[in-house]
Amino acid sequence: MRRYLFGVGSIIVLVLFLGSLLAGAEELKLGRFDGVTIKACLIGGGDYEKIYERFFPKFEELTGAKVEIVYKGNGFEIDKKMKLDFAAKAIDYDVCWNHTSFFSQYFGFVEPLEKYFTEEELKDFSPRIMQFAWKDGHLWFIPRHADISALYYRTDIFNDPEVRKKFQEKYGYELRPPETWDEFKEIAIFLSNPPELYGTQFAGKEEALTGRFWDILMAYGGKIIDENYKPAFNSPEGVKAATILRDLYQAGAMPPGMVNFLWDDVAANFANGTIAMYTEWYGWYSYFQDPTKSKVAGKFDLARQPKGDAGIHSGWAGAHAFSVTKFSKNKEAAAALVKYITSYEPQLFEAHIGYIPVRNSVFETLKKEAENSTDPLAKKRVELMQLQINEDFTPPPIIPEWIAISDILYPILQAIILGDKPVKEGLDEAAQKVEELLAEAGYYD
Amino acid sequence: MAYGRKDYGGFTGRNFPFFMVFPAVFIVIVLVVLPMVYSFYLSLTNLHLLHPSRVRFVGFGNYLKLLKDSVFWRSLLNTVIFTGVAINVEFLLGLFIAQLIFKTTRGQGIVRTLIMSPMMFAPVLVGFQFKWFFNDQVGLVNNLLYLLTGRYNPIPWLINYPLNLLAILVAEIWMSTPFMAIILLAGLTSLPVEPFEAAAVDGASGWQQFYYITLPMIRPFIYIAMAIRSLDLGRAYDLVRIMTGGGPANRSEMVWTYTFRLAIADNKFGLGTAMSFVTVAISLFFVAYFFRQLAKSQGSVY
Repeated sequence: MRRYLFGVGSIIVLVLFLGSLLAGAEELKLGRFDGVTIKACLIGGGDYEKIYERFFPKFEELTGAKVEIVYKGNGFEIDKKMKLDFAAKAIDYDVCWNHTSFFSQYFGFVEPLEKYFTEEELKDFSPRIMQFAWKDGHLWFIPRHADISALYYRTDIFNDPEVRKKFQEKYGYELRPPETWDEFKEIAIFLSNPPELYGTQFAGKEEALTGRFWDILMAYGGKIIDENYKPAFNSPEGVKAATILRDLYQAGAMPPGMVNFLWDDVAANFANGTIAMYTEWYGWYSYFQDPTKSKVAGKFDLARQPKGDAGIHSGWAGAHAFSVTKFSKNKEAAAALVKYITSYEPQLFEAHIGYIPVRNSVFETLKKEAENSTDPLAKKRVELMQLQINEDFTPPPIIPEWIAISDILYPILQAIILGDKPVKEGLDEAAQKVEELLAEAGYYD
Repeated sequence: MAYGRKDYGGFTGRNFPFFMVFPAVFIVIVLVVLPMVYSFYLSLTNLHLLHPSRVRFVGFGNYLKLLKDSVFWRSLLNTVIFTGVAINVEFLLGLFIAQLIFKTTRGQGIVRTLIMSPMMFAPVLVGFQFKWFFNDQVGLVNNLLYLLTGRYNPIPWLINYPLNLLAILVAEIWMSTPFMAIILLAGLTSLPVEPFEAAAVDGASGWQQFYYITLPMIRPFIYIAMAIRSLDLGRAYDLVRIMTGGGPANRSEMVWTYTFRLAIADNKFGLGTAMSFVTVAISLFFVAYFFRQLAKSQGSVY
């Protein structure tokens, strides 16, 4: 009897499961593509591939198509490969990786997607990211997941009555996570007590430094390059942003080794308890909350990044995405794969791995799940992420020379921070070099 | 008649030696000379990696640009200081260590192995290790100073000039002195004993023996070691790249980190190639100097 019941039970479960699959398929309107092979060129490595392993077989089951991953590599490898393949007219894949920081280079070989998606299907995605996905009236990619930074600050320090009292006396307002970059500077300098505690820090070289400079620059309404591709970071806004970095360093509010830091150094410092607040990617959150690795577990909170005079919150960000190639012979099937892999279920799966989703429905689910979490910050974190993804998300200037510009700018920013060069003079020098670079690249022809 | 040694100027006969060396010459031409000529040509263009189609001949414009570039001069100065100090300190320490090992009567094998151990590590790993030693927040050196002085005053070793140069030098010297010692030790062990016996009979002191006999006789080894080391130092890219990356703000820039920055990071391949020719010229100067000394010393000793 029991065995019989078990049999019936499993049949019911199976029917429900198949039903849900069919329902999903119906809802997504994927269509049938029996016998079609979809070739894909995708970002690989670590957690990126889990979604392919888990959801491509499901897609094959739903549509009858076969998915073949012909290339996997990291972002820079894949960028090079796609550009070379395009130059050699050798693109033989249907679906490709895309990214908000790279996509302007790919217009030549990427298929506009607007005719494959209904408005209904797109409205769940972060409107802010979709704003960047549309260019010249066409939709170029469908976002997959994103990354952005928040302000991490130490609650044990910010809530210390002694510290709060002194701060109130000195500045006449209550100590709280800074809302503007000017407050950020004030608070960082106030909280510094080197070498035990530094007010703040930034990653101090390469794109990490240029990006953080740009983070502050955008908050003041500044730009790295203007609409005519002329360097614009030596504007008064640029001077303000660079001055903040220099003043923080010169006041001893940042560790002296800061100009040599990269991402893992700054994270290690915060985990080590020597930094009062700084801006950091969401990816490091679980590391900071792990008491075996971090001295600040349970002793920090998150806030939106500060804003500048322009009322804009800093939001240096990027999103991985998928596109269909212009040379695909099965564009319908390829678009169906993109539609499926960016749908609710796979997106939720990736969010559970730790990526920041780009669909508001996924955020809603995460918020519900967070209510039962033992982590008191869980819900706030998801809400903050959603807010930033929907409002602050800003990719870097999307021209192929971004890294080259960064390589010109960061040694000069270092010189400014260290006091080797005056702010305006340094930025002017960098602007002149960037203009030369872009002139040689043919932007002003 | 058919088997006669008639000289057809063909495959056998007078031209035979030329045919025998042809493969070697051919390989050298294809693998060394042609790329060299081509890259020299590139150094006369404005080739930019992102825009290869816009390449244009600019004559010696790149070289002139370098002469006017303050970072270039700084990298050159840093490299000369770095090479000069490293090679001399390594030589003195190496000679000292070689003498110690040479005079060791028991357990020489063990001592030799221990001394050589720094050579077993990849320079990149040595770089990471010393980068951590000199880290201003959590590094060994600052913590040691704290223990010794009782005052916590972190010194930004890798940031301030010339401390960052000093830090790289310490790593370099730690890593490469054993190489110097081994070559000098080989020199010491190859010396004949007769001159020393004669000197002892004549009543020469240990110092006199060392200065008047040992040193002149191992001079060829010294110059060979120095020539090899000066080549190595000229391309000491990995240590610098890992420890400071030539930074911050070009403060510890050396010729090779700057070459990389120009050619690869900034994509200015033409300018970077010009820079590498300048670098090679400097290395060649050092090597030529030491080889001339080597030739001289061989003439004088033997």
